Amino acid sequence: MSAMMKQQSEQLKSISDLDPVIEAYKKDIDRTLIRENLRLTVTERFQQLMRLQRFAEELQQAGRKATQRK
Amino acid sequence: MTDYDALIPLLVKNEIEFIIVGGAAATAHGSSRLTLDLDIVYSRKQGNIERIVKALAPLKPYLRGAPIGLPFKWSVETLNKGLNFTLITTLGSLDLLGEIVGGGDYEKLHTETITIEIAGVQCECISLQSLIKVKRAAGRPKDLEVIAELEQILDETREED
Repeated sequence: MSAMMKQQSEQLKSISDLDPVIEAYKKDIDRTLIRENLRLTVTERFQQLMRLQRFAEELQQAGRKATQRK
Repeated sequence: MTDYDALIPLLVKNEIEFIIVGGAAATAHGSSRLTLDLDIVYSRKQGNIERIVKALAPLKPYLRGAPIGLPFKWSVETLNKGLNFTLITTLGSLDLLGEIVGGGDYEKLHTETITIEIAGVQCECISLQSLIKVKRAAGRPKDLEVIAELEQILDETREED
């Protein structure tokens, strides 16, 4: 058994321990966003992701510039 | 930014055997979370490794986060010696994974995929149920919120059916 598979086996044992945390997170998931995404094609979902990446990069750059000005 | 519209068709047109996993797979299934890279499980067959090396060479792959100047050579020999590679390319971040926790290697995961169309090409993507399974198997704290969203997506798609 490879080290990775052994690690996998150990992690699988603890999966049930995760459920209460996952259930707690579910309460805050915005299902309207999910429904909007499910109306898009896969290509449109990736285009949306790339727009989000660009926006995140712009925010990071703006943050860096603001820090440099201080 | 990772240019999925260019990177995925490049892999497909070079006949590379791969499966989209990770955050990009979550996006394909409808997740609204931000991911920055493309994670793929690739076949370790020799022919496939040769095709990967040839297809990605023009993108100048380099180990992501590694200091510039390391003696990293993008070659068949390098891929044969390793298994998982986190790369930065001119089209963005690409993780080449020989196997993943909870999903195994390409051959094993190949039975748990769906075909998706992106940017005019068809490719394999891990199924939503299997993506949840591997995220659960990984058991990383950062994945717990992702699993919650993926399970909500599964509920939504079941309700649609």
